[in-house]
Amino acid sequence: MILARQVRYVFFGLTMLGMTGPALAHHSFAVYDHTRTLNLKGTVTRWQWSNPHAYLDIDVRDADGAVKHYTLEGTSINMLQRVGWRSNMIKAGDQVKAVAAPLLSGEPGGLLLEITLSNGEKRELPVPAANTFKRTPEPER
Amino acid sequence: MYENRIDGQLLRTFGLLIILIACTAKFAQSAARTQQSSVSTPDITGSWERARDASIPPQPQPPLKASYLKEWQAQAQAAREASAKGQPIAERVVMCLPEGMPGMMGGPFPMEILQSKGQVTIIQEAYTQVRRILLDRQQKPIDDVEPGFYGYSIGHWDGGTLIVDTIGIREDVRYQNVPHSKDMHIKERISFGPNGVLRDEITIEDPAVLEKPWTFTYGYRRMPDYQLLEYICEDNREYADEKGLQKIRLDPPAR
Repeated sequence: MILARQVRYVFFGLTMLGMTGPALAHHSFAVYDHTRTLNLKGTVTRWQWSNPHAYLDIDVRDADGAVKHYTLEGTSINMLQRVGWRSNMIKAGDQVKAVAAPLLSGEPGGLLLEITLSNGEKRELPVPAANTFKRTPEPER
Repeated sequence: MYENRIDGQLLRTFGLLIILIACTAKFAQSAARTQQSSVSTPDITGSWERARDASIPPQPQPPLKASYLKEWQAQAQAAREASAKGQPIAERVVMCLPEGMPGMMGGPFPMEILQSKGQVTIIQEAYTQVRRILLDRQQKPIDDVEPGFYGYSIGHWDGGTLIVDTIGIREDVRYQNVPHSKDMHIKERISFGPNGVLRDEITIEDPAVLEKPWTFTYGYRRMPDYQLLEYICEDNREYADEKGLQKIRLDPPAR
């Protein structure tokens, strides 16, 4: 509950700052589709704990057994740490579920909005203006 | 002989008296200064984050001279259109370059202010940006300052207001993409406003580019229990392509 409050606080803070001008929008998220989300289930190949943003690489197996690799961009690790994330929460080989706003280019990548860790714990990312990304109930893949 | 001895004694006594008076005056002066500074210099040491407050006015548009304004507006329009098409123009932060001055005062990450003898140091968490304001010094001639991201800042306390003058910002280090000349001065007045909000009233003076000085204000709220985190920009998978557009590397960095 405390964590949820912290997340909301950071969300609120970032949204507020986001409204004050372009100087504060450090890195543009305009490359991502704001109208739909991907629901991915796969194996982590790399969890890149870095600034300005973290990255999650996952292999997703489709119904025919073919593997497709996705690169999901996260937020700054400083923002993640402020809401309780640690670098060791995710590691290569973990089975995770991810909700992501896809790249508009159609390439296999997206903006990571939410993750369900291998232990079943669900976490949202403190993405600035996260409410501008519409969640759609696309089938899991 | 006797008279000479008297003269010598008198001289010594007189000399000692002069030294004593001088010392007392000096001590009183420095005590007064200490008392004055302890009364009027606010404690701004600590962690701060950007805050909105009714006392902080909205930022006006830069009063650029006509030709510069036209170019700036055209660039802003192009950036908006590129973003709307889902293909934003890469900002310098994508290349792991920090904002420099005065952008670093605008957050959005927390910043730390440290007051030490003769210096106020400001650290912005994002990109671990550091600026040093040297107190009670003369400003240098602009040509004596090697241009950089943070320039050369001098300041002094005027009552409760820290007055700062910064010169020597590289011309390619642009705040909100606003052009400036090598002669730009960034003047700041840092003080407490209403509601415990720390204000930084920033005035850009640059007659070569601006019709008149451009003033805007940032507000900050104290973060009593926050210690700044480290921030290194590394292996950024956002990059600028050959057209200067922001892209994402889908292959992880090799290491």
